[in-house]
Amino acid sequence: MPAVTIRLHGAFAEFAGGRRASVEAETVGGALAALVERYPALRERLRDEHGALREHVAVFANEDEMGTREGERTPLREGDVVHIIPALSGGRI
Amino acid sequence: MTKPRVAILVGTKKGLHVFRSSASRSRWAHEGPYFAPQPVYHASFDPRDGESVYAAVNATFGGPRIEVSRDLGRTWTTAANPAFPAGSDLTFKRTWHLEPGHASQPNVLWAGVEPAALFRSDDRGISWQPVRAINEHAERPHWSPGGGGLCLHSVGIDAADPGWMTVGISAAGVYETRDGGKSWTNGNAGTRSPLPRGESLLGRCVHHLVAHPTRSGVRFQQNHTGVYWRDGTATRWTDRSAGLPSDYGFAAAIHPHDDATAYVVPLHDRLRQAPPPGIAVYRTRDRGASWKRLASGLPRGAQLEVMRESMAADRLDPAGIYFGTTNGEVWASADEGRSFSQVAAYLPAVLSVSTITS
Repeated sequence: MPAVTIRLHGAFAEFAGGRRASVEAETVGGALAALVERYPALRERLRDEHGALREHVAVFANEDEMGTREGERTPLREGDVVHIIPALSGGRI
Repeated sequence: MTKPRVAILVGTKKGLHVFRSSASRSRWAHEGPYFAPQPVYHASFDPRDGESVYAAVNATFGGPRIEVSRDLGRTWTTAANPAFPAGSDLTFKRTWHLEPGHASQPNVLWAGVEPAALFRSDDRGISWQPVRAINEHAERPHWSPGGGGLCLHSVGIDAADPGWMTVGISAAGVYETRDGGKSWTNGNAGTRSPLPRGESLLGRCVHHLVAHPTRSGVRFQQNHTGVYWRDGTATRWTDRSAGLPSDYGFAAAIHPHDDATAYVVPLHDRLRQAPPPGIAVYRTRDRGASWKRLASGLPRGAQLEVMRESMAADRLDPAGIYFGTTNGEVWASADEGRSFSQVAAYLPAVLSVSTITS
């Protein structure tokens, strides 16, 4: 299984207690699952009770927002980087 | 014997601020903000164990969560989220109110959330179960969101009967249980609707509801259409708006010892700011039959806004009265409202004010 790096940005680094994690996963969804297994406190920060990814979370596979590819089924290769980023959704009052 | 101490828990748009004082309530030490920059809709002290504080942190990034402190708000642990059951088309969006249960149920805590629902914890806030009888109430299809969304924002626990609870939902109105949450009835009788609904009891717009902490049956609410009082086993609310400058407002507090005394901050119904001549607390000492304007120490002419959860009393004698404003001020009275002094200014918008008396 490919070894990939997950980089946690902004508030998500606080929830995991670090900015970087290494996991083995074949897809973006698999990488997120492996991350949550390691850091259970992240589960409710990333997903709602029905398993849907929360609003205001952007997930990138390297430089591609996963929605522009195959979502959580986006395949990963050895050395890929998955970014979990607070979505750029400022301006709300 | 330890001298009593007081703290004000101030939930703001960007975190929870805590102000602590001796019983004199003349000087306040500031702590926080905790959880900044996330909005804190409510924080609640648990007088049953004298150590727990609960906070409703409604984060944009990472979603809503409930935080639990066992040391009066100095350190915090994240609880499991309230969660709608599998198959529900509802998703937990934010927490509006956290209410310690009856004194005879020391581990029970209640959470009012959005979308409008009630959750119960039996382990002092660590985990939550939905109260399905209210969450799936037959009248739910008739509930519609108010300006803040469709939320359950008020939980009143009867002083004597742990099975008797009264909740406020915007915009649905008041619902009540006499069997600890197994069944719920519409409790809107006596209140007016802002809409032409005829005799229907659906669609009332309760803004904030409180139950008296020591007198069974006493309920008090600030509604979109006025201030209403209910005593004892009465089944209808009595309109007690006469004497106030406006029917409209959000904040409401009840005196901790005197069951005939309560406080509101009337607002202009369109501007949602204090009407001329400016910000004031109104106090009744006769269950709303008459009202007195209290503004000593408050800025003259300031048309400030006070949100639904932003006024509270402490439990000392004489009682302290506190409120916060959306322009980031916190005001305190150590003499039951006769005079006020400023505790803080330039905070982020204040969303909630509650107290610790320990």
